Amino acid sequence: MTDGLVAGYADALFAVASAEGDPAAVEDELFRFAQALRVDDDLQSSLADPGVPASRRQQIVEDLLDGRAGSTTVAVVSMVVAAGRASRLPAIIDAFVERSAASRNKAVATVRSAVELTDEQRERLTAALNGATGKDVEVRVVIDASVLGGVVTEIGDDIIDGSVRHRLSQLRESFR
Amino acid sequence: MRHRRTRHLSATLIAVLGLVALAGPAGASSESIGACISEHLEEMITHGDTDHVLRELREESTQDDLEACLEAPNPILPELNEIIWGGAAFLILFVVMVKKGFPAVKGAMDARADRIRADLDAAETAKADAQAVQADYEARLADAQGEVARLFEEARASADQLRADLTARAEADIAEMRDRAAADIEASRQQAIADLRTEVAGIALGAAERVVQSSLDEDAQRRLIDEYIDEVTGSDD
Repeated sequence: MTDGLVAGYADALFAVASAEGDPAAVEDELFRFAQALRVDDDLQSSLADPGVPASRRQQIVEDLLDGRAGSTTVAVVSMVVAAGRASRLPAIIDAFVERSAASRNKAVATVRSAVELTDEQRERLTAALNGATGKDVEVRVVIDASVLGGVVTEIGDDIIDGSVRHRLSQLRESFR
Repeated sequence: MRHRRTRHLSATLIAVLGLVALAGPAGASSESIGACISEHLEEMITHGDTDHVLRELREESTQDDLEACLEAPNPILPELNEIIWGGAAFLILFVVMVKKGFPAVKGAMDARADRIRADLDAAETAKADAQAVQADYEARLADAQGEVARLFEEARASADQLRADLTARAEADIAEMRDRAAADIEASRQQAIADLRTEVAGIALGAAERVVQSSLDEDAQRRLIDEYIDEVTGSDD
């Protein structure tokens, strides 16, 4: 669920990426940056700290993404951070990714797994999700050790949890 | 009726007393035998000569009169003048008594009768009052006895009710305390069981988690992912 501010920033980022001519690459780079931001609380607090000058925060972004992302990606992230919306950056990037996928008539499926999926597994999972949701799904894998094993898939507001963590939680609940 | 008889008796008594008082002794005022004979002789001499006196003396009536002089006077019957004077005195006294004495006596008697009657009435009234007071007293006594009995009965009923209430309350309190204690014990038991179960579950799950983490090698991870994909695929069917 995205609010107006997040949707507005997502639309702006999508417009910039489209104008620069390679929205898919920007989308992939932003998605990876958002995952890194989610697992690194120190980085997120530094970028969102209003006590840190905007130029300093932009410098952190540039140093972090230097050589790892294109100039368009660095520019849009730097713009959001300078605007003081770093705390909303993961949500903005998620909305941007969905917006970008929607532009290609695709739905984004965020797949969390403790290990990387093989190409064969990606294809099978994509096909299975296409069949299950009736949409053309684009799978984006996030490596998350807290899953322990198995996979958690998020498509919009729908969650298909087949992780070992979830099974242990269910087992813990059954003991109560 | 009684008053009238009393009045007649009083009048007769007064008349007899007057007669006795006024009448002198028989013959007290009568002439002597000689004087009587002399009086007769003088009367005969006055009316005629010696022959006439002799004739008169030979007549039987004269002899009876002279013999009458020889006879003793009646000891009971007074002389005529005494009777006249005595009768007149009696009549006067009687009239005086009737006019003055009798009303006074009658008044005194009536007053005494009235006073006696009033006293009797007062006595009757006092007796009635006393009887009324006695009846009232007895009624009050009966009421008081009834009130005492009623109060005693009420007190006994109240005591019984109070005892019953206290007993019921005590039993209710005991039952409530017993139930509460049983509930507390049961709650504590359930809480202990839950705590123990949670503790055991935590320990077991922690151990299971460690076992799972150590046992989830690459093959196991791949197998879990494949199973997940198969489940998603199966749900599509």
